[in-house]
Amino acid sequence: MTAATIDTTAGDPRPVPTLRLFAAELRWVLRRPRTLIMFGLFALVPILIAIGVVVADGDGDGNGGRGLIGSIGGNGLVLPIAAMTISLTLLLPLAVAVASADAIAGEASHGTLRGLLLSPVGRLRLVGMKAFGVLVVAVVATLVIAVVGVLAGLVVVGGADGQLITLSGTTVGLGEAVGRVGLVALWTVGQLAAVGAVALAVSSFTEHPLVVLASVLGGLITFGVLSTIPALDWLAPYLLTTGWSAGADALRDPLPLDGLGSSSLVALVYLVVGAAVLITRMSRRDA
Amino acid sequence: MGNRSSVRRRWAAGGIGAALVATVGIGLVVAPAGASAAPELPPVSPEDLVSSVLTAEPGPFNGTVSLDNQLGLPALPGAPQAANGTSTARIWSGDDGKGRVSLPTDQGEKTFVSDGATRWSYDSETRTVTKVPAKQGGGPGEKQGGRPDRAPEAGTTGPPEVAAPDPAAAAATAIGELRNTSTVSVDGTAEVAGRPAYQLVLDPKPTERTLLREVRIAVDAEKRIPLQLSVLANGSPEPALQVGFTDVTFGPQDASLFAFTPPPGSTVRDEPATTDRAKPGPAGPKPGQDAGRDAARPTIVGDGWDTVVVARTPAQAKPGEPKPDSAEQGDQGAPEGAGAPDLSALGTPVSGPWGAGRQISTAVGTAIIADDGRIAAGAVPAQVLTEALAR
Repeated sequence: MTAATIDTTAGDPRPVPTLRLFAAELRWVLRRPRTLIMFGLFALVPILIAIGVVVADGDGDGNGGRGLIGSIGGNGLVLPIAAMTISLTLLLPLAVAVASADAIAGEASHGTLRGLLLSPVGRLRLVGMKAFGVLVVAVVATLVIAVVGVLAGLVVVGGADGQLITLSGTTVGLGEAVGRVGLVALWTVGQLAAVGAVALAVSSFTEHPLVVLASVLGGLITFGVLSTIPALDWLAPYLLTTGWSAGADALRDPLPLDGLGSSSLVALVYLVVGAAVLITRMSRRDA
Repeated sequence: MGNRSSVRRRWAAGGIGAALVATVGIGLVVAPAGASAAPELPPVSPEDLVSSVLTAEPGPFNGTVSLDNQLGLPALPGAPQAANGTSTARIWSGDDGKGRVSLPTDQGEKTFVSDGATRWSYDSETRTVTKVPAKQGGGPGEKQGGRPDRAPEAGTTGPPEVAAPDPAAAAATAIGELRNTSTVSVDGTAEVAGRPAYQLVLDPKPTERTLLREVRIAVDAEKRIPLQLSVLANGSPEPALQVGFTDVTFGPQDASLFAFTPPPGSTVRDEPATTDRAKPGPAGPKPGQDAGRDAARPTIVGDGWDTVVVARTPAQAKPGEPKPDSAEQGDQGAPEGAGAPDLSALGTPVSGPWGAGRQISTAVGTAIIADDGRIAAGAVPAQVLTEALAR
């Protein structure tokens, strides 16, 4: 929070309006150069994939290779979904981890958290404000990928007459395709919210932002390693990352919702546990 | 801070508590809905059950079929379902031989659509459409030559094939045949895909020299279609192979599901109807039906559970894989590989009075590929195979 806001609240015995609180946090988050640079880099993800696909698909057979990337060639509307799915593996959680690390641990390391804890703002609202800031980063980053992905898909990759060819071989119109991109974006934000809740919980225990980054990325990498060990396959349903391939389900027809739904429920559990730890820790924290 | 360690201990306890909450929460979220107590159903004899399956007309339905494969087959290129693991298929079945099957993978999908007149298949990885004129009365599963949708295949293609004789008599005959080598019983009930089902169980008679312990077929109590097939091998409490619905819904299906238009940018290949069944080249296709179709006509040695199929490697294309193929028990194991993988790298070398070759052992069967080109396979120990080869 900015120093100005703290000053005004300090001189004002009335509680701060929640809206102003959130707006202040939003300004605080979005004014950071690293946040803006991150958003810019996320815009590059679909553009780079689009260029790569177009270059690889130079012979024009509409088949840029195997996998999700391969199905982008000549089928541009796959691009936003592929870009979101690929970014979800590491890049988007990184952005959320950076935001979460800054939100509490970063403020603690700068000494600015003390002012927040002393200010006449309830701890619950304080947590809500910080979570809101992280959520905004997640939403904006995802939307940047989705919107730039749709545009790059239509302009750079093109093909399929503005329609989306699903993995099942059917074609859906632009409107429904954008709807599916929106669904994946919503689902991605849900997964990122879970990452963010855990990251904020870690953030509330430390005053070193790097610890938050290390634990979130280390956790994700550990999850990835665990899921490749056959003897531990019973563990897979409990890992947040297991459901992260469900984004490609939006490219199937008829749209199967069970993968997206179950992974969202798992994310919800992570979110609830992370939030509970975060709120408990923050409400007991000494100023 | 004298109480720092107690504070830390309290947080550690809180952390463990949070982890427990997370585990229980996710456990509740991901727990399969089934696994409830066995439903109460009126008793039924095996003959009546089989007869009702043969006459069943389930009507249109859709569902998800899951294949849990613990056969221990070597991984084959082009057939990821053959290796150990689980795979799923989404199935829609309409009237008049219309159907749709989707085999999703993480990053792609294979789709099979039968619109009654034409069978389409689409591979999202290569973006190729294969178009085959349908033969009469083909169900959606049939064209795949034994993919994980075997259970519905039996449901959809069963009635036309057996419609001619009296179903009750046919069931009695079939069960009479089976009783020569097996114990056939209805062993209680189960809940499969949220539906009450009878468990039809085939146990090999003690005289049968087989690796299999039993074959269980869960039959829907109301619609009388097979919902689940489990193959249990000796020495393992878990099924070596389990194929079945994880969810199924009966009712009218959207007609647009059974129409297919090749998407723009895809390659369309026309194939004549006759090559359709020969092309996948599975060595273990439908029991008793396609077994003698290959040019190198296989010899059947023995009967019942210790049936051994001895075939000769076709010169032009080897069979997809040497399947444990115990004719009528219907344990036609794993999905078949597409194409003809190089078998010479698989298995362990064996030799005997019959010659030398390579032996491939799985949980439910054994195959020996002799160096002279003969292939012997069955749901039997290797000794039975070598006896068959020595004959």
